[in-house]
Amino acid sequence: MNDKSTWEFGTRQVVYGAIGAALYGVFSYVTNIFPLPAAGNITFRPAVAVLIFFGVAYGPWVGLLAGFIGNTLGDAITGWGFYWHWSLGNGLMGMVPGLIMASLKDFKARATIMKAVGWGTLGIAVGMLFASLTEMFVGGIDLSTALVGYFTPAFLGNFVVTVILLPILMVAFAGVAARRGR
Amino acid sequence: MLATFKYRRRATFIQRLDPRTRFIFMVCIILALTIPEIWDYRIVFPLFLLSLTLFLMARIEWKDVRRAFLYIFILVFFIVGLNGLLSGRGGPSSVLDPTSPVLFEVPFKIPGTDWGWMVPVTVSKAWFAISQMTRMLAMALLAIPIPYTMDPNIYGTAFKRMGVSDKVSFTMDLAFRFLPTFARDLTITIDAQRARGYEMDKLKGGLVARLQRLAPLIIPVTMQSTVTGEEVIDAMDLRAFGTAPRTWLKDLHYAPRDYAMIGLGVAIFITCCVLKWGFGIGGFFVPDFFTKALVG
Repeated sequence: MNDKSTWEFGTRQVVYGAIGAALYGVFSYVTNIFPLPAAGNITFRPAVAVLIFFGVAYGPWVGLLAGFIGNTLGDAITGWGFYWHWSLGNGLMGMVPGLIMASLKDFKARATIMKAVGWGTLGIAVGMLFASLTEMFVGGIDLSTALVGYFTPAFLGNFVVTVILLPILMVAFAGVAARRGR
Repeated sequence: MLATFKYRRRATFIQRLDPRTRFIFMVCIILALTIPEIWDYRIVFPLFLLSLTLFLMARIEWKDVRRAFLYIFILVFFIVGLNGLLSGRGGPSSVLDPTSPVLFEVPFKIPGTDWGWMVPVTVSKAWFAISQMTRMLAMALLAIPIPYTMDPNIYGTAFKRMGVSDKVSFTMDLAFRFLPTFARDLTITIDAQRARGYEMDKLKGGLVARLQRLAPLIIPVTMQSTVTGEEVIDAMDLRAFGTAPRTWLKDLHYAPRDYAMIGLGVAIFITCCVLKWGFGIGGFFVPDFFTKALVG
């Protein structure tokens, strides 16, 4: 479906990085008013599925840029300011699933979808763990608060979103790409 | 719903600053507080006042930032503040000083039973909660005005002039341009789905229920954006994007006030590092006046 060079950074990556970032920012803005229970400053974000989808479909650079810039945009237009560690954590969340972009052929195939969800889950774990642990230095929370109050709800919320929405996005994308012919 | 930057041109000192200056200054303050782990109120409070002064100098209307401050208030006071007050954890170990006078105890019990424990709130924890909230606000107050006071068209140029590559800067620039477009697409999609009986206002229930209601909005907008992307790629490829270093329409120049602000930011960062690592100043302690005020 794409140019299958994982680390290429050309026009395609620039454009889809920007599109992913803008979409992530807009969708985050819409749902930033839904906090997750028993969490710190963690909100319910269906947009995470879009971020992981952009990583899976267009590669790690797109996932990284979409997550980093998108989270920054979403927080900025919500009026929350700039939290570099959460933006970077979101970037990692998009980047890790992008590592398997080159190996994904048919976005409608069950095996491909399972693989994407699996790597998406790994991306969520890596990204949210990074953000939660760095919150210890930036926000002054302790390890148990970082793991229980921040990482666990963020991971679970994003995991559920990914399991439900990512397969739908992938199947829809397969249809769109087939019609487009590339 | 239109998600876009609420930028408005104002004749203020903040808006006369070069955008790079504001980013660099903000990073300096964040690093000054976090890298050497500064908790001393004699450093944190002046930095908070400095951030507050710069925020007020931006002259942003209250109606614009009302919602933002509601979330900041919830985050800082209820989550960070209460966590610090009750657990006292998250900062230096001296916060949990066992000799600190106990102000009162908060019972945590399973409803209907006597099972549970009493959490002591000490003078040390109370001061830590105040320090922690002030520290967070000192950082947040510098970032909040940015979308209201910085021209969205200048972000790409600003990052390019700060040494970021052409492609990453252009990604940023494009993202800012796409934002209102996709917000508009989302609004149109919401209206179209409402015409089919979709009720976004009833976004209640558990996670799965919420997702089921959001999917009809997210999927069409995302798929449409992938189609738009191909058209933009074609247009950029036809103009030979990425084949040579590009030029940027807007130019940025530092003025003396920018050098002064950057110098101030760097000086604050260096001072915090030297105070903490050179003289051992900057760690957490409870000032006598606070202890006396609470326990006499």
